[in-house]
Amino acid sequence: MSAPTCPRCGTSLAPEHTQGLCPGCLLQAAAGASAADEVVLTRQESQRPVAPAIEALAPHFPGLEIEALIAVGGMGSVYKARQKSLGRNVALKVLHAQIADEPGFAERFQREAHTMASLSHPGLVGVHDFGQAGPYFHFVMEYVDGVNLRQMLRAKTLAPELALRIVPQVCEVLQYAHDQGVVHRDIKPENILVERGGRVRVLDFGLSKVVGKHPVRPLLTRSDQVMGTPHYMAPEQWEKPLSVDHRADIYSLGVVFYELLTGELPLGRFAPPSHKVHIDVRLDEVVLRTLDKEPMLRYQQASELKSDVEHISGADAPAAAPEPPPLPASATEEPSSTRTSGPPHRNRRVQRLRERRAAALAASAPARASDATLRVETAISLLGGPEPLPGPMIGLICFLGISMLLMLVMFFF
Amino acid sequence: MAGVNLPSGDESFLTTHWSLVLRAGGEDSERAQLALASLCRSYWYPLYAFVRRKGVAAQDAEDVVQSFFARLLDKQALSQVRPEKGRFRSFLLASIQNHLANLRAAESSQKRGGGQVALDIDFAAADARFRLEAGVLDAQKSFERAWALELLARALSGLEQEYRASERGALFDVLKPELVGGQSAPYADYAERLCSNVAAVKVAVHRLRKRYRDRLRAAIAETVAGEAEIESEIADLFKALAPN
Repeated sequence: MSAPTCPRCGTSLAPEHTQGLCPGCLLQAAAGASAADEVVLTRQESQRPVAPAIEALAPHFPGLEIEALIAVGGMGSVYKARQKSLGRNVALKVLHAQIADEPGFAERFQREAHTMASLSHPGLVGVHDFGQAGPYFHFVMEYVDGVNLRQMLRAKTLAPELALRIVPQVCEVLQYAHDQGVVHRDIKPENILVERGGRVRVLDFGLSKVVGKHPVRPLLTRSDQVMGTPHYMAPEQWEKPLSVDHRADIYSLGVVFYELLTGELPLGRFAPPSHKVHIDVRLDEVVLRTLDKEPMLRYQQASELKSDVEHISGADAPAAAPEPPPLPASATEEPSSTRTSGPPHRNRRVQRLRERRAAALAASAPARASDATLRVETAISLLGGPEPLPGPMIGLICFLGISMLLMLVMFFF
Repeated sequence: MAGVNLPSGDESFLTTHWSLVLRAGGEDSERAQLALASLCRSYWYPLYAFVRRKGVAAQDAEDVVQSFFARLLDKQALSQVRPEKGRFRSFLLASIQNHLANLRAAESSQKRGGGQVALDIDFAAADARFRLEAGVLDAQKSFERAWALELLARALSGLEQEYRASERGALFDVLKPELVGGQSAPYADYAERLCSNVAAVKVAVHRLRKRYRDRLRAAIAETVAGEAEIESEIADLFKALAPN
């Protein structure tokens, strides 16, 4: 049965329940207009994007032999083409005609190409050329022969072990881009490709924001406009879109990570991944830390996430680990008997962890110190052990101990 | 709920608050119980969808939901509700999961709801709606989506009643498509249909949207512990409705 779709956003309409109105658009119009932070998820004012026909494009790109339409995304249509002069395959991305008229969109498009062209990393898709040909804003980029993670998720070909190999590679790319002051802001399975050779490539820096090197241009990202894909967006992308930094990418990667491990999105009060699939329970803390609503309590660098994932998966061991890598027995590992505890029990732990993290932030402790404390607390929490002693209590014990020692010294001398 | 612009509609759910339930002490438990019953009556369908997604047949699902409410509305159960339980939605989901687990463990289907309070619920319509909502959502996602739809639909029907009660039913019918944002048709068309002018239509559309927004926010405020949680709940609603 094919449900009718909304002419605005293209999603399936719920049958009659909301009087024929699209629930998503209804919520967006109502919630989006609240206060000053209007939410614009997609270009709903315009018609759904339509990819130009190959015949229409061809006269404007004499150097290319356009072969096929590969994909239609939020900003443009992507075609597979052959560059005649060099005899190589390329991908041609053409900005949607409906939005090319708007100065903000065209500038953003140009910036996407500039940003991508300024980056050079084996994990990124390279830009060969960009510009305007006739009415078409476009760029020509490297053609990558592979599948994206969305396709892999749909095909259910992703084992958790594979996720543990993919995520560190994405971390490496993100760390490189973040070091250059570039934030992706739209990390999602569709934007992560796996080449036939197994190398991971990150696509589509069209939503990237240049931080540090160049001032943010508020005209491009109005305070009432949020860019990104809802499922994968960090909370601050909704709440404070102008103050988003690289940690939003770490959150988005956390959502992807969770999805790769469990096949599900971390919606609402979600269960830790180890409850859904048989994985090292220490990954729970890693994933939950990437998904913390508070940026300060997340991993602060993608490289730290990479390091922890590789450590747990055994990829950083001196000798090559057997496949699959054995789970190392460490103090932070939960006994297997408790690994199968029910979801409410585990969810309470997750909630407790989140509350502690919030409390740690409120106490204005230095970020790194609180991170270290939280790691210990998390380990204790996952072990189901006693509550850690509060700071003042530790101070009191130390004071009493030293006092006793001094009294003993005075007694003997 | 300070700061929340409550609509003037007289639906019972608008006069009860999840925060009231959370604050309920021994002396005010009657009022809190009524508030909880009202909330349950408003948001029972997501529970039904959840139970069905858990593989329970239609007839049994009715029993499960009714017995769940019977247990929930028991005074002793009410006294166990604590503010740390969070939002009403989360509380319901956790509670129904526990209830299902208990039912299955005890295999006491014959006792379900026996001799207890039964809410007046149209399960036949619910079964038809459940069958219509095709998809492969798991139980929790189904619950979250049904929850979001319920909130939107209640705010919409409340708005419709409000307009009809004030003899503005025709205005609601004509301008309703504008509630989804953007501009569904030229204002001149609306003006012609309403025998009005474009300026008046613009104002009417603005007011209609504002009333819906107020109603939706008030409905959400009913289900969270404080105003501070409304925005976060709205973000969750977006997630629940977003296509996979």
